[in-house]
Amino acid sequence: MSKNLRITNSKFIDQTSRISFKFDGKTLYGFKGDTLASALLANDIHLVGRSFKYHRPRGIMTCGSEEPNAIVQLGNDPSMTEPNTRATEIELYEGLEATSQNCWPSVNFDIGAINNFFSPFIPAAFYYKTFMWPASFWEKYEYFIRKSAGLGKSPTKPDRDIYDHRYLHCDVLIIGGGISGIIAAKTAAQNNLNTVLLEDKNNLGGTTIFQNNECFKINNSYSNEWLSKEIVSLNSLKNLTIKTRTTLAAYHSYNYLLARENLTDHLSLNEKKDKIRQRLWKIRAKKVIIATGAMERPLIFNNNDRPGIILSSSIKKYIDYYGVKCGQKISLFTNNDTAYETAISLSKSGVNVNSVIDIRDKSNSSIVKEAEKLGIKIHWKHTVVNTNGYKKIKSIELMKLSDDGTNVVGNKLNEECDCLGISGGWTPRVHLFTQSGGKLKFRDKDNVFLPTKSKSEQISIGSCNGDFELDDVIKNSNNLIKEFLNINSSDYENLEINCSREIDKKNIWLLPSDKPLGKTKPFLDFQNDSTAKDVKLALREGFKSIEHVKRYTTTGMGTDQGKLSNMHALGIIAETAEVKMGELGTTTFRPPYTPLTFGTIVGRNVGKFFDITRKTPIHDWHVEKKAEFENVGQWKRAWYYPKENETMHQAVQRESKAARDSAGILDASTLGKIDIQGTDSSEFLNRVYTNDWSKLEIGKCRYGLMLNEDGMVYDDGVTTRLGENHYLMTTTTGGAANVLSKMEDYLQTEWPELDVYFTSVTDHYGTVSICGPNSKKILSKVIPDLDLSDENFPHMSFKNAMIGKIRCRVMRISFTGEQSYEINVQSGYAKSLWEKCFDAGKEFNITPYGTETMHLLRAEKGFIIAGQDTDGTITPVDLQMDWIISKKKYDFVGKRSLYRTDTIREDRKQLVGLLTDDPNEVLEEGAQIVEDANKKPVEMLGHVTSSYFSPNLNKSIALAVVKSGKKLNGKKMIVPMKNKTIGVTITETVFLDKKNKRLNA
Amino acid sequence: MLSYNSVVNDSIKYNDLTISVVESITKINLRGKKRDFITKIGKSISILLPTESNTSSNNEDLNLLWLSPDEWMLYENEKINSENDIYNLEDELFKEISKINYGSVTNITDHWVMINLKGQKVYELLSTSCPFDFKNFKQNKGSVVQTIFNHIDVIIHHKKSNDLNLFVRRSFCDHLLSWMRDAASRM
Repeated sequence: MSKNLRITNSKFIDQTSRISFKFDGKTLYGFKGDTLASALLANDIHLVGRSFKYHRPRGIMTCGSEEPNAIVQLGNDPSMTEPNTRATEIELYEGLEATSQNCWPSVNFDIGAINNFFSPFIPAAFYYKTFMWPASFWEKYEYFIRKSAGLGKSPTKPDRDIYDHRYLHCDVLIIGGGISGIIAAKTAAQNNLNTVLLEDKNNLGGTTIFQNNECFKINNSYSNEWLSKEIVSLNSLKNLTIKTRTTLAAYHSYNYLLARENLTDHLSLNEKKDKIRQRLWKIRAKKVIIATGAMERPLIFNNNDRPGIILSSSIKKYIDYYGVKCGQKISLFTNNDTAYETAISLSKSGVNVNSVIDIRDKSNSSIVKEAEKLGIKIHWKHTVVNTNGYKKIKSIELMKLSDDGTNVVGNKLNEECDCLGISGGWTPRVHLFTQSGGKLKFRDKDNVFLPTKSKSEQISIGSCNGDFELDDVIKNSNNLIKEFLNINSSDYENLEINCSREIDKKNIWLLPSDKPLGKTKPFLDFQNDSTAKDVKLALREGFKSIEHVKRYTTTGMGTDQGKLSNMHALGIIAETAEVKMGELGTTTFRPPYTPLTFGTIVGRNVGKFFDITRKTPIHDWHVEKKAEFENVGQWKRAWYYPKENETMHQAVQRESKAARDSAGILDASTLGKIDIQGTDSSEFLNRVYTNDWSKLEIGKCRYGLMLNEDGMVYDDGVTTRLGENHYLMTTTTGGAANVLSKMEDYLQTEWPELDVYFTSVTDHYGTVSICGPNSKKILSKVIPDLDLSDENFPHMSFKNAMIGKIRCRVMRISFTGEQSYEINVQSGYAKSLWEKCFDAGKEFNITPYGTETMHLLRAEKGFIIAGQDTDGTITPVDLQMDWIISKKKYDFVGKRSLYRTDTIREDRKQLVGLLTDDPNEVLEEGAQIVEDANKKPVEMLGHVTSSYFSPNLNKSIALAVVKSGKKLNGKKMIVPMKNKTIGVTITETVFLDKKNKRLNA
Repeated sequence: MLSYNSVVNDSIKYNDLTISVVESITKINLRGKKRDFITKIGKSISILLPTESNTSSNNEDLNLLWLSPDEWMLYENEKINSENDIYNLEDELFKEISKINYGSVTNITDHWVMINLKGQKVYELLSTSCPFDFKNFKQNKGSVVQTIFNHIDVIIHHKKSNDLNLFVRRSFCDHLLSWMRDAASRM
């Protein structure tokens, strides 16, 4: 039966609201305001999980985001479970279920713990060294390594939670709601600056909010009381937005920051239902004030990882904030004054403090004297050389340090304890500063890396800027804020501040033991089980860069990203390699500061919002007729219209036949359409297309190819001359936006002298294309007044027409090789027009066809699709379209490149037609084409770009690009497939109606 | 006679937020750089072209939005009455501007769909996926911004306090409305 270690003096915990939760299947109780960690400690549970490599028992070590050990699997729903959550950051809620990680069958009895006994044989880089040989065995090793890799279990089903994103703009963003952040927020907001304050905990106040100690007073009030009043005063500031439970995840350049707000993680399962779980704030701040505080460092000594060994300041927070005793007989081990604050808090709360073990010779600060006054025993100049207790600490062994601190002397003392608080000094949280591109400087006095002056609009204040004493925090923060915000005075001038100042400092990165280093386990990275021995081994093996040592030993590579371990690793490397820490530098701090869920990163862009979709004005008709859709760019295009039980192949064959035999109807609204006006329109077209546009008559259409500057085909389409200085250009569906941007770019930067204006009208017009031998008859029913005779309305021409009161533009152009008309009408009328055409065509069995049939029909005619038969490496000459390159024009985009040595090579890949020996065999698009399959290595001459079975020709047809293809007409080739080879013959690209009789019929 | 199909017919109401699709509003794109172009536009529609970036000018019937140093969007307040000649404004301007090579006049009535956003929560709605800082925009009636909303290009015109006209390309409209419905449902 577990003990209740709760005391009743905490105002931050609502002890009237009891919450039940489960840990490892056992029902336990905590209170509203608890974290999972504080609730477990209140139930006297220290053993929370097992370490990654050696499966050593591990307990709660901190009270914040730096926690390396107490990481748990949250929930057991296969779609909602979350691994590697820090018990110190999970607010307790009704129905919470958590389980230990990295243990089997249970955290108390873990088979994997056998690794601990083999630990001498599996040092750092064991995997790298052992599994390198024989090389062929890697796949066998990999199977076992992968099984043991990773911590926790990923959810196996889609996440049901809802996440979203919000944009936020402010004058001043303050990160951190401790004392310096609160001072900054109040000062900024009082000066009419739109201010946002972020705090990752549920309450503001940092560590000062529970600092109820005689040694720390502001204006004669206890510092916590003074700060409480300041927090209340923030409520009246209209310019200030406070976001608690919000963690700054990333600080990018130019003050663009990402913060994650937990909206419902602290609510009971019922309360959080259907609500947004987490929100990602995308913040643009004019100025940023970082007030993220500092983290307490552990101490590195033999067996410093046992459950019950906790950072000293965390023990203080558990007792003063959560009202939880971390043990009944607590020892404290320190190299600085912080542990004495904990000793005093414990003593005042009635907890027995065995002793304080201090590696320093003496300290004369007021806080130490206060502790001495309370009768707390202090072992000066001593160190802990070992700890005992497997699943929880039972005792410590201590010895006196030698004068130089490198060894221990004298007799060994034993001290029984059930908790050991450790304090190795403080590390400023400079992660966000460095993420933003800031450089750090090293301060030798207390071995800390500090921010330097940043080029961007930001400052760091408080302990993240190296101010660790209360008066320094307030005074320096106030001065920095005033200068940064250009303010003359604030509420924080001339405060009377009393605090204990730490005078005596001593630091030993790796504390000595009575045993040789090889026989000890001084852990550096508690999550990844890397020890000081491993770091020294890496240095002996020649690794010098901190980045290399990190990867070789995995120090700092756990989910905690080495928040606790990095400084000690650096210190030990510097000491061993005899270099200065400042010169060694740090590893790179990358975002996110704490892990983000994928859901938060993605927000609402899941499911139907995963990508943007565009719909044509006739879309609903296609849906009604049960069309299958294809994604073309962002458009949803009708792909084919299957009738009952038809396969795609059957539907496409039927649609193609109908279009050739009688009439087909296609929704061509997605084609890009650009209205071009201006006196230099013709000249502009001459410059962007390869062919000549000067002589195109008004009312006529012309096909054009657009090249990149490298001479490769970029886009194609038909452009119509609507008036003397007025054109309508069409582009490919996917290329529309890029073509318009490119043209506007040329106009503004290369040819600003031209009088030309572009306007996108893609969405303004809906386009109905009717094709086939009966298309003219159908159109004459829809627009009876229009003279459709070949003389009046020949192929490649256009007419304005009216359908009732509605204007339309009719182009006689064809992408199918059939007589074909494209009717453009204002989009709102397009569906009505489509239905009218469909009704008019019923007597001719007009058949709606989709993009697949469109592709088949144009392939029969040998028309290319830019992007399918071209791939950015194909010139018009490669397409056997030499006729489209004007020889008379002075210049056009890409012209120069067409005459480069490489582009005039005769053995370039060129577009050809392919016919299979077996007319029923349809080639796979992308299949390789070879001449001799037995030649080694096989020479791949080209590949298939388009392939279909043509119902009109009753045989398989294909387009392909083949080296020197132009010269190979009639040549036999082979298409090798997985289980067979297919014989093909190279042909011309046009398979049907080579003389264009159908077009002009 | 062809009938007009609205992209969406409904108007959606939430607490402090109404989203209404207003179709059949004539919209015309105007482009030009010449002095004569600017003068002619002013005379033809009795509104001076706004030359300051991201601003607009208007009269009782028309709104003229600055889009770039040589591009503006003109839109009418009243819906088109399909019984009348719906091309009046376009024809007149085309004759006065395009025909005599002062610039270009292009009908874009159905290129853009106008969505009216009204209520206290319009800016909260926009903050769900629009990266623009609306601080100054909110303070200046008539402001115009071309930005993205859920990755989709939009033009937003500040008509009155908490009353905006948002223009989105017709093909994107259904998707954007669906996004707005989703976002607004949780506000």
